[in-house]
Amino acid sequence: MKRVEVKLNLEAVAPLLDVIREAADDLKPELAVRLQVPDPDQEFSDGWRHELLQSQNSDIGLFLALFGSEFFTTGVVPLDPTNSEAILRACSAVRLRLRAKHLDPLGDDVLESGEAPLDGMTERQRKAFAAYVFLATLQELIVQHLDPTVLE
Amino acid sequence: MTAADTRARPDQTPAADTRTQPGDRWRVVVLNDPVNLMSYVVMVFKKVLGFDELKARRHMLEVHEQGRSIVWSGVREQAEAYAFTLQQWHLTAVIESDEAR
Repeated sequence: MKRVEVKLNLEAVAPLLDVIREAADDLKPELAVRLQVPDPDQEFSDGWRHELLQSQNSDIGLFLALFGSEFFTTGVVPLDPTNSEAILRACSAVRLRLRAKHLDPLGDDVLESGEAPLDGMTERQRKAFAAYVFLATLQELIVQHLDPTVLE
Repeated sequence: MTAADTRARPDQTPAADTRTQPGDRWRVVVLNDPVNLMSYVVMVFKKVLGFDELKARRHMLEVHEQGRSIVWSGVREQAEAYAFTLQQWHLTAVIESDEAR
């Protein structure tokens, strides 16, 4: 993957960052996916969880770094071989958290369609849903650059 | 060193493990989740498990339609290593003994 600069619509994306950051903060002490450890030994289980959490936090740190002062000046987020896989994983983690925290009542079909009944949603849910869709779009863009054959 | 560090990763030679008997086989199973994108899952299968495009798509569809897919089987240490890496990508991956079948 070459370096790619993605120009985002500042007015559309900036308001989503608080709900994204909140989900990212929630994930500092906990995994996005329920822990599935293959061994009941406590030490093994703790080590497994600790490593997954370290990996998750490292990925989310790189992801949040995209939305620094350059983003707020230009709307551009740079993707390159050093950060793209981490950002892809971080988007997945944050989407999982947004769903668990805000979007579960909407159901799988609505979430998969990307079209939610905005009338029945709270302001927070609307933002969470918009962030959920935005992160999916960012993931598809990265997948397309990492492996163009996947989306053919 | 953490417990997970002592387990083999796919690119390492598995260490001896007294919990397993020679000939024991374990399978790595990926369970469906309603969040991760199909394209993402296909890419992860290709990257982590070395699948080609067709095989990755077949397993992704199996996960999507049947709720689970066995994506690898072999020795326990390697199964753990694959499960760990798939979990790093936020897929729900578990390992099961072949005897559980």
